[in-house]
Amino acid sequence: MSQQQTKNCITLRGSAQIICEYLKFAINSVLFQRGLYPPETFKAEQQYGITLLISEDAQIKNFLTNLLTQSEEWIINKKVSKLSLIIINVANKEVLECWDFNVQYEDGDVALSKEKNETVGSKDLKKIQQEIRDVMLQVAATISYLPFLDCRCSFDVLVHAKTDCDIPDKWAEAKPVEIANAQNVQLKTFSTSLHKMETVVSYKLVD
Amino acid sequence: MAKEGDMSLFNDVLEPFRRVINTDPPKDKLSSATKLNFSDSNQSLKEGLNNLLSLGKRKSSVCMNDVCTPEKRVRSESSSTPASAPPSPWEAKRLKIDLIAAKAQITKLESRINHQHTIRKEMQILFEEEKGSLIEQHKRDERALSDMEDRLQLIRRREQELKDEFSQYLKEHKEQKANWDREKAELHKQIADMKDKLLECSVSSKDQLSEMKKDMDELLQALEGAQSEVEILKGEVAKQTTRAEQCTTLRTQLEKQTFELQSVTNKLKELEYERDSYKDWQQQAKTAQKRLSNMAELEKEVNRLRSQERSLRDAVCNKLLLEEQVHQLQSRVDVLQPVQNELHEAKVKLATLESALEEWKSAARTHGVDSARSLSSALDSALNSQLNATAASSQAQSQLAQLTEEVATIKFERDKATGKLNELQVVRKNQESLIHRLQKRLLLVTRERDSYRQQLDCYEKELTVSLCGEGGAGSAALLAARVDQLERALQAYRDLLAQHDTPAHTALVETLRAESSKWREEAENLKRDVAKLRAQRDTLHANLERIGAQSQTKVLHLANNPAAEAQKQIQLDLEAAQEEIKRLKASLREGSGSRACPEEMQQLKQQLESSRIKLKRLKEEFTSSAQEYRDVCYMLLGYKIDRTGHKNYRISNMYAESSEEYLTFTLDDDGIEMVHTDYSSTLGELVELHLHQHRSIPLFLSALTMELFTRTTMQQVQ
Repeated sequence: MSQQQTKNCITLRGSAQIICEYLKFAINSVLFQRGLYPPETFKAEQQYGITLLISEDAQIKNFLTNLLTQSEEWIINKKVSKLSLIIINVANKEVLECWDFNVQYEDGDVALSKEKNETVGSKDLKKIQQEIRDVMLQVAATISYLPFLDCRCSFDVLVHAKTDCDIPDKWAEAKPVEIANAQNVQLKTFSTSLHKMETVVSYKLVD
Repeated sequence: MAKEGDMSLFNDVLEPFRRVINTDPPKDKLSSATKLNFSDSNQSLKEGLNNLLSLGKRKSSVCMNDVCTPEKRVRSESSSTPASAPPSPWEAKRLKIDLIAAKAQITKLESRINHQHTIRKEMQILFEEEKGSLIEQHKRDERALSDMEDRLQLIRRREQELKDEFSQYLKEHKEQKANWDREKAELHKQIADMKDKLLECSVSSKDQLSEMKKDMDELLQALEGAQSEVEILKGEVAKQTTRAEQCTTLRTQLEKQTFELQSVTNKLKELEYERDSYKDWQQQAKTAQKRLSNMAELEKEVNRLRSQERSLRDAVCNKLLLEEQVHQLQSRVDVLQPVQNELHEAKVKLATLESALEEWKSAARTHGVDSARSLSSALDSALNSQLNATAASSQAQSQLAQLTEEVATIKFERDKATGKLNELQVVRKNQESLIHRLQKRLLLVTRERDSYRQQLDCYEKELTVSLCGEGGAGSAALLAARVDQLERALQAYRDLLAQHDTPAHTALVETLRAESSKWREEAENLKRDVAKLRAQRDTLHANLERIGAQSQTKVLHLANNPAAEAQKQIQLDLEAAQEEIKRLKASLREGSGSRACPEEMQQLKQQLESSRIKLKRLKEEFTSSAQEYRDVCYMLLGYKIDRTGHKNYRISNMYAESSEEYLTFTLDDDGIEMVHTDYSSTLGELVELHLHQHRSIPLFLSALTMELFTRTTMQQVQ
């Protein structure tokens, strides 16, 4: 029994929470790195052993909490396959950048799941955080090669959900986005042993 | 008097001079005496040397000399005639000294005289000057006198006029006095008349008074009578009031009675009405009695009608029953109608089924089955065969799954194989490098061998030379041993070489080479395949994603996302900006600035208005104050000053006889100057005196005022 207690046990909900937390920090980091909002509206916060910046803007906060609470439910129910953070030029609605967060579902620790009678994973939390930190560092490093955004930009998050998924209140269907002449950069992936998160940034290649 | 005064003043002035002249000679004498005295004293000093004792006597002699001057004259006369007797040297000396002294005195006196002369001349000049000034003053005085005389004449004239006036007034006064006296006399007469009248009146009034007193007494008596009457009347009044009270009580009683009367009459009317109604009732009763006689017939009729009603009621009950029955029947019909329809349908179905059965039967007959049991067995067999088929299909499916698994395993194996291939390639590369190294070593070894051979040849040659040349036994043995040694080494090398240069080894290398080339080719092929497969995979992935995006997933997002909000904001901004542009354009079109800020315009207008009002008020104030100032000037100084133009002023006096009498002045840089006018030419005298002599305009103006005033007053007097 004692061995079981010491062994790491990640439930489906916990895994979804980890994923959503990662999404929150990743989206905030992108917003800061890409300069969509003035830097003085961001606050430094220690997470995953590094300093990350979180927006203090009430609107953004509200938007992200709304988005991520719903997304967590969907991830638990395996309804979501991808989340896309798109950066749009406000003037002509052109999509300049697309950050795809692909969610893949894994089985976790099958033996332990059978024991516990629910789907659980047994990956070490520290290891997961280490992996997430690597991704976050990569996100921060993207600024070196992503093209400069020299126009008024805004962002949106598109959730690629399954067709049988209900559309809740305040949500609407959107058109899938496409970037012409896009360049894809695959960042590192991490896994909670229940969910695998793959981060891809695609941006318009400027000649 | 003036001359006498002048003379006295003159004497006063001359007095000191006279005194000086009078006093001068004695002074002169005194000074000469003192001088003489002085010389005497000198002399006495000189003499003192000789005779000190006779000093007192000498002094007394000096005093004597002082007193008797004629003696001195005598002596001088005597001294002036020295030829009479020869003088002694001392006397001569003394005479000389006297002479010198006299001469000195003379010069002194002369100078004094000269001095006196100069003083006299100065005095004369002074007197002359004084005389001139006095003359001038005299002239001035004379002029003043003449002025005064003029004035006096004027005054006298005025006095004369006044006297005339006075006499006139006196005459008037006398006349008036006479008139008044006459009037007085008349009035006195009137007074006397009045007094008479008064007396008469007083007498008559006294008579009247007595009469009146009598009347009064009578009246008093009458009054007393009246008072007594009044008392009587009062008693009567009291009586009357009591009567009146009685009357009122009576009236109230009367009123009550009338009220009662009215009520009684009302009752009477009611009674009459009742009586009428009673009559009606009587009539009605009569008619009722008539009707009652008809009652029996009516009762019969009622019975008849009642029986009729009963029969009708029964009929109604029957009708209700019938209706109920009808209703029940109808409901039954309604229920039965669908049953009937069903029956029809069933019949139709039966017919169709029978036909179908016939068909089935015919079909069965064609298959050779006659009975139903055989048919069922046939069906069973068919079902079994179907089951078998499904089993086979499931087996096939499982086989398919197995196969797919196998395919996966094969793929895995392929991957393994490629891994092994890679490993082998690495091994081959290692081997190739080994072979290369060995070949290099081989080359080295062969070269070494060649060099050794050469060395050996050299040694052999040397050996032969040395053997031929010296021929030492020890050295030869040594060399032989060395040769042997070398040969042995050579042999060893040869063995090594032989070992390396075996054909089997070369064959192995070749086979290995061939193998490696083969593997290489294979690897190349595989690589190509991999590239192809990757491209295929990518395209498939892309397709898949597209398909997935379109069909398998749907894209959702929050309705109020930041992008939409930003879009809205920018739209709003744009609209606002366009609105503003329109507004600005409109305002521009309407006229720049005129309506741009109506508030400011309004403010400015108000300011303008207020400043105008202020200006107007200031003007009014200024004109009023200027008018006041002018009025005050006119009242105080007696001149009205008008500004006729630039630096031109016209003044007219308060006492001027006509408006034509005015003076004109112009303002110069130096001061003010009077301009010649018609009126000014008539004032030659004043102009001459005040303007030319005194050079004072105010004085001139005041003199003019004075003159005009006197003239006007004189006119008034006359």
